[in-house]
Amino acid sequence: MADATGKTILIVEDDPDAADALQILLENEGYGTILASDAPSGLEAARSKKPSLIVLDVMMPSGTEGFHFVWDLRKDTDPETRDLPIIVLTAIQSAAGLKLHPEKGDADYGPYEYLPVQAFLEKTASSAELVGTIERVLANPKQMHDAGK
Amino acid sequence: MATQDAHSEMEIEELRERISWLIRLRWVAAVGVVITVAAASRVLDVQLSELPLYAITAALAVYNALLWAMKWRLPAVSAPSNLAAFANIQIGCDLLFLAALLHFSGGIENPFRCYYVFHIVIASILLSRRATYVHAGIAVGLVSLMAGLEAAGSIPHYHLALIEPHLYSKPVYLLASLFVLATTLYFTAFMATSIASTLREREREIVHLSRSLRQHTDELEQSYESLARLERSKSMYLHRVAHHLRSPLTAIERMLAVVVEGRTGALPQRAYETLDRSRQRVRGVLDLARDLLALSRAREAASSAEGAVNLAEVAANVVNDFRQAAASASVSLQLEVGSGLEPIAGDPESISELFENLISNAVKYTPSGGKVTVAVGRRDDQIGVSVADSGIGIPEEDLESIFDEFYRAENARDTGKEGTGLGLSIVRAVAKAHGGDVTVESKVGVGSTFRVVIPALPAAAVRSRASETAASG
Repeated sequence: MADATGKTILIVEDDPDAADALQILLENEGYGTILASDAPSGLEAARSKKPSLIVLDVMMPSGTEGFHFVWDLRKDTDPETRDLPIIVLTAIQSAAGLKLHPEKGDADYGPYEYLPVQAFLEKTASSAELVGTIERVLANPKQMHDAGK
Repeated sequence: MATQDAHSEMEIEELRERISWLIRLRWVAAVGVVITVAAASRVLDVQLSELPLYAITAALAVYNALLWAMKWRLPAVSAPSNLAAFANIQIGCDLLFLAALLHFSGGIENPFRCYYVFHIVIASILLSRRATYVHAGIAVGLVSLMAGLEAAGSIPHYHLALIEPHLYSKPVYLLASLFVLATTLYFTAFMATSIASTLREREREIVHLSRSLRQHTDELEQSYESLARLERSKSMYLHRVAHHLRSPLTAIERMLAVVVEGRTGALPQRAYETLDRSRQRVRGVLDLARDLLALSRAREAASSAEGAVNLAEVAANVVNDFRQAAASASVSLQLEVGSGLEPIAGDPESISELFENLISNAVKYTPSGGKVTVAVGRRDDQIGVSVADSGIGIPEEDLESIFDEFYRAENARDTGKEGTGLGLSIVRAVAKAHGGDVTVESKVGVGSTFRVVIPALPAAAVRSRASETAASG
């Protein structure tokens, strides 16, 4: 796909309509897009297609799939894959809550611990906010979210 | 029947302990006799036949040593049904020993004959009422026998040098002494057994009560656990409902946004306006769903208050989230955090909601150039949160209803800004769920100050579980 910015964004979102809308928005802003509708195919795409950024819906069917995607990605052996910047789209909990209180743990991350992603956004954020956050993270991909500190 | 066995189990245990105590006491008695005899003879110069007395005391010591050994080694001795017999035999032997000691130190003349009272008191503690009376009878019998035989001359009398000679054979003296002894022992038996029986009753009541208490505590623990399970499943249900409502709405909003923003191609004006209005309505429903969920959760917050809330941190997070909105509205947003703020018991999500709703309102209804100040502080055992703004204020007639669900003051509606009317209901629900409340002071055109006060329960002290105290109790 023609992408003016030269960057590709992986969208991991199980709702096909929301995914399509995101795709239209991002392509309109000049980004290439890859779609994945669940965590496993998302991981696969991250490893093989090497996007510049991942936009992840954390509230996928099981409620914890999103978290596990993050932890699995951050454990990947390939450093390029492992350090891919992630923006998490949240719906149920306020962003503050999610940063500090994810409800399930993992082998490496206990519940209520810091989730290692670059940014959080409410799903209901405006297009401008979404695009702005993407630009900010792409400019500074190593900067993790600050959890309000 | 099980309770009765349990009762006697406790009584058996006690009987064992008291028999051990009796054996220990006997050591003291033996030493006491030796000291008394030595003191009387050496120090007070009373003429005594020391040898037989020491011999009897030695026999007493040996007897006691045997009892001590038997107690530990022979299970037959400590079997419940034999315990009473064991006690009976001991006391019987003790009566004999005292009689022997008295015989060799003046017989009926020896004032130490009143020491039989001790045996009666001990019997009332260890044995049944009937056994106690029997032992009183045996004691009186032994003393009478000894005194009678001495008076008749059938056995020798060992004179106590202190006493007027031949008192022991004077009938009036004999009868009087025996009468006093008998009445003393029987009345003592009566009083001691009455007291002992009352005490035993009390003990039984206590055991029963403590058993009952333990049972109730267990039941309470079970109820608590099923309640907690119910709360969790209710909470999960709410989450799932919210998800199923909000997910499709979000998708709709996003799709409308993309079209309205012209990203799918140029739009005729009418199409644009219609779709934009649709988008705003969807936005309204999303906000409503969010607020309804927050309100439900706030009301549940008390039962899930197993978390700890660092108020300063939550306040800072929320203020941070609103910086941009405040900046775009040219409203200054400040946070003041007092000292001595420790984490308190509560639900972090709900407290976050509380701050969000108060600050969102303050920023929304404060005109450009205005000021919003958020303060969090502690006084004694209460936490105070205040959000003060220099906004449009609340008319006096609305102050009462401002916390009601879906209520929006007219001047708020007139600003044309969106609102669900649930924000302050959420704030009040959260405050109440944490044992506190919210109040407001306001003047139209000047501004409003909302104050929340919550008791500062330390995070560790949340709901002491009855199970812990019951398990250790």
